Amino acid sequence: MSPDARGRFLIGAALAASLALVLVYLAAGGSSYAPEKVKDPCQPRAWRNPESLQEIAEQFSLSALDGAACRLGVSRETLARALATPESRERFARRYGIDDAELARAIRAGLLRAVDDAERAGALNPLLAAPLREVVRRIPLEQAVELVKDARSLLNSAQNFLGPAQGLLEQVLP
Amino acid sequence: MNAAPRPRTAALAFAVGLVLADSSIVVLALPEIYRELDTSVAGVTWVLVSFNLVMALAAVPAAHLARRVGPGRAAAVGLAVFAGAGIACGIAAELSTLIAARCAQALGGALAVTAVLELLPATAGSERRAVAVWATAGATGAALGPAVGGLLTQLVSWQSIFLVQAPLAIAAGVPLLAIARHEAATGIVSAELRRTGRPHLLANLALTLVSSAIAAALFLLVLLLIEGWRLSPIGAAIVVTAMPLAALLGARLGPGAGSARARAAAGAILVSGGLGGLALLPHADVALTLPPQLLVGIGLALVLSALTETALLGRAPQAIHGGWTISARHAGVAVGLILLTPLFTEEIDQQRHDAIDAATAVVLDSKVSPLLKLELSQRIQDRLEGERGKVPTIGPAFEPLPEDPADRVAVVGLREELQDQLDRAATHAFSSSFGLAALLGLLALIPIGLARRVDL
Repeated sequence: MSPDARGRFLIGAALAASLALVLVYLAAGGSSYAPEKVKDPCQPRAWRNPESLQEIAEQFSLSALDGAACRLGVSRETLARALATPESRERFARRYGIDDAELARAIRAGLLRAVDDAERAGALNPLLAAPLREVVRRIPLEQAVELVKDARSLLNSAQNFLGPAQGLLEQVLP
Repeated sequence: MNAAPRPRTAALAFAVGLVLADSSIVVLALPEIYRELDTSVAGVTWVLVSFNLVMALAAVPAAHLARRVGPGRAAAVGLAVFAGAGIACGIAAELSTLIAARCAQALGGALAVTAVLELLPATAGSERRAVAVWATAGATGAALGPAVGGLLTQLVSWQSIFLVQAPLAIAAGVPLLAIARHEAATGIVSAELRRTGRPHLLANLALTLVSSAIAAALFLLVLLLIEGWRLSPIGAAIVVTAMPLAALLGARLGPGAGSARARAAAGAILVSGGLGGLALLPHADVALTLPPQLLVGIGLALVLSALTETALLGRAPQAIHGGWTISARHAGVAVGLILLTPLFTEEIDQQRHDAIDAATAVVLDSKVSPLLKLELSQRIQDRLEGERGKVPTIGPAFEPLPEDPADRVAVVGLREELQDQLDRAATHAFSSSFGLAALLGLLALIPIGLARRVDL
């Protein structure tokens, strides 16, 4: 083999090895190996067929977080971290320039979306949805935050309230 | 003076390898220095950048000085300065002191390395052989540096990397004393003080570009392994040893494999291909770094030797042209680090943010109780926010584990899921920088290609 031919072979082999490596790594998912992107909180999120009260409360909280985050223009995850403690809420408010009134409006909007989602998913009796919406519209900020963290108390009281009256209402309403 | 030329050649080659290893030996110690001296990633990078920058600036003037005072004396003084500055590096308690000492090390190193090239033809037997010994010693030193540095960092301390160099530099300088005495006695300071020819611009430009890519490969890979994937320095040292081993394989492909231009082009392509592979790692697994390292190692051996030989052969004086190649290589390393450091530090910050969000999403969608979810989200945030400037570790955010058995099982599963998100973030944080480094390697093909019409 002449020196020129050896040189061409060497360059060809280098090109082939380099391309093969890059293509194999691309095919194995090298271009998408990154942290998963968080979902847009304004988009609907499917409920996971909750059965127990706790599972319904969890889904309710997640929907409420989505709704409030959508209203504030932040991710559900950012808002969840913000609501964890009073200090983190203060840091969040400072960073995004959000006052208590705005936060309260956003959380109430989130809770209303959660009521809608729960009703659509069949996890909340339609007879309860209207009074719950009224409760949510009037709820103070601190209680609204607690409801996002754990909606069991709200859902539990609603179920208890409806329990005796449900049979009667179902008979008279279409 | 000509007695025992072989041991003297070995001593000279060792001196070159020792000095040029210093451009990369500290790479694996950077995370330790980063923690111990309480600095930033950008700050600790200057421990590397300062050495390479001063080498780049001082190499040619040092070569002129070596020819003026005599290469024997210059090499001996250079090694003495290198050893003394190494001790200063080893006892430095602040980053600024360490960087200043690194600059002094580079000054001594530049003087020693360029002067040695002037001395080698007499001991090696021919100019061609001298160039080959000098280039191979330099490439071997630079390639072995990180592994040796990693071993010393873990087994002893980062300071030991510098302290160990002092006696080694002095030992390498002992054979030079006879030459220095001879120069002093005879007044002969150099074989010829004739006019210096122009440096080979294209070969040196290609050396700069390809060196910046190689520096990135070593520096970024080590940071990825230690800071991103949490390997110990010794573990990372073992992993990155693949590169010098591959370089030894590449060094066997001598001039018989093709013309200097063909070897240089093939080497640059392999370096870029390997870096492209590192930019596209499909999983956080050290085994996946081996094929790219193989390509980079073979490539660097091919391209560095071909370009160095081209820049030196037939050109006189050797010390001056050797100085140009040293200058080109170290300028490349410094430019590569200066270009890539802001890019990957910004990427680490972005990826940390994405990892926090991804981790919170995993927690929120998990099956632990709502109150525990919020508590975990907050603990993760505190943990991740507390480790600014690097990819964080997640384990401590889950301590203590919840007492409820169902929550405990769920939390352990969560920890693994979150670790996967962090591994993804750590790996992805380096992708753009490896990609840019691959591009720098490919750019070297332009001067290599243009040189076809000149004399490469």
